[in-house]
Amino acid sequence: MRNRGEVILKIKNLTVSYGPIIALKEIKLEIAQGETIVLIGSNGAGKSTLLKSIIGLVKPDDGYIFFQGKNISFWNPEKINRSGIFLIPEEGGIFRTLTVEENLQLGAYHFFNQYQQQIKRVMQLFPILQQRLKQVAGTLSGGEQRILAFGKALMSNSKILMLDEPSIGLSPRHIEQIFQTMQRLSQQGYAILLAEQNIVQAFKYANRVYVLENGEIVLHGNSSDLKYHPRIKKAYLGS
Amino acid sequence: MQIIIAQVINGIALGSIYALLVSGFNLMFLVGKIIHFSYPYIVVISIYACWGLLQLTGNAILAILGTIITSIALHMIVEPLFRHINTRKGTIDINSSFILSLGIALILTEIMSHQLNYGFPVSFPINWMGDAVFLRFNLIRISSGQLYTLCVSILITLILFIIIYRTQLGRAFRAIAENISMARLQGIPILRLNLLLYGITGFVGGIIAILFSMLVGSASPWLGDYIALKVLAIAIVAGLGNMKGGLVFGLALGILESLILNFFPGSWSNAIAFFIMLLVILIKPRGVFNNSIES
Repeated sequence: MRNRGEVILKIKNLTVSYGPIIALKEIKLEIAQGETIVLIGSNGAGKSTLLKSIIGLVKPDDGYIFFQGKNISFWNPEKINRSGIFLIPEEGGIFRTLTVEENLQLGAYHFFNQYQQQIKRVMQLFPILQQRLKQVAGTLSGGEQRILAFGKALMSNSKILMLDEPSIGLSPRHIEQIFQTMQRLSQQGYAILLAEQNIVQAFKYANRVYVLENGEIVLHGNSSDLKYHPRIKKAYLGS
Repeated sequence: MQIIIAQVINGIALGSIYALLVSGFNLMFLVGKIIHFSYPYIVVISIYACWGLLQLTGNAILAILGTIITSIALHMIVEPLFRHINTRKGTIDINSSFILSLGIALILTEIMSHQLNYGFPVSFPINWMGDAVFLRFNLIRISSGQLYTLCVSILITLILFIIIYRTQLGRAFRAIAENISMARLQGIPILRLNLLLYGITGFVGGIIAILFSMLVGSASPWLGDYIALKVLAIAIVAGLGNMKGGLVFGLALGILESLILNFFPGSWSNAIAFFIMLLVILIKPRGVFNNSIES
């Protein structure tokens, strides 16, 4: 196991319910700097709810979420985003009617004084966006839209990037591209928390894996160890 | 011919006021997620405030400031009501905002028709209207009031559009217009921007009140109904929420009304203008422009 960085997000006994339905039950989870973590589980297992409760869209019934030592359980999404957690939702995370440049400018909403240096960095990471700056974001291809969502996330001072099923609706080539981008970002020290159905890719790039079933974590560990776990093989890899 | 030119100039002045009103209305629809039918009523009560201050103090600058403050204050008062309606179910509810808007409009109309000036229409002093001739060329006569109205409304519209399409605030507004929940997710401070939006709309409303009082020179409790229907019609014909379309149609309606006055008795101008709008909406049911804020 490689050296883990400092733990920046810590979730303790998180329980979330929608009315009478318990969506998450006593979740325990930790993310360290530079680490890529994958949440896997079928539809309705609670992956999206977990991401939503971290960003503050859903309030916990019980338990705590600590980010860099601060209890953020009851902060609003705006404050959590500003403090350094960025969620790229399933539907893409970009504003389609705005241009690429405007999207990036909005990404830096709270850090507009650092805009010039941030955009330089993002352009170096994703040169493809350079030629598209004046283009309306809705006209980009699916893969480019995801790249833009990454770029936008990096315009702020995010430390944790959360992605809800980023590979959905993309061609294999684009999926590969997205995962490679994530790998590059984690090498730069970003912590990545990913909800994913594409198990093969997820295992390839993740450091650790959490398996969710009916709102509970039933299994977790290093991806290299879990890859051959009988339960995973049976349920997800189909062999 | 000269009369027609004179009427067109008059129409542009009136149309630019409509255009400003529709811009405020559309902005509220897109970003505030409400149907701000009460907007013209707030403008009219601000005109009353302007008149009252002129009567009391006779000081034009005080009257102008007071009008703008009245409009902004009224917007700040209704903001929590609209916000409550929009967040009550956790979803945006444009329909109930329309009912609330109607309620506010009725209350304001009642206040004007019972409490203010005993319900009689108010008229502004002739020097307030800037009736001095600025330019006269045979039959064409442009008063300084018309000129002020035209210049100020173009200036304010320009500033409004620059804010929306060229600034960080405007980008955030357009982001909220496109997808409010994603905007919230990505750290855009919805509540603060919403207050700012009501403030801006209120400010523009105050300016409109001053321009209207200068151009028309009178106001009555029923003026709100009269303008509100037109604003709603323009917004729908242009395509609800289309900023640029609203601008074009606002101007067009102003010019159309003035031209009709040239050929028919004054009382016909409304009917004919609405008849033409009816035709447009029959041919293009979804509005002439698309429903969007795209540039």
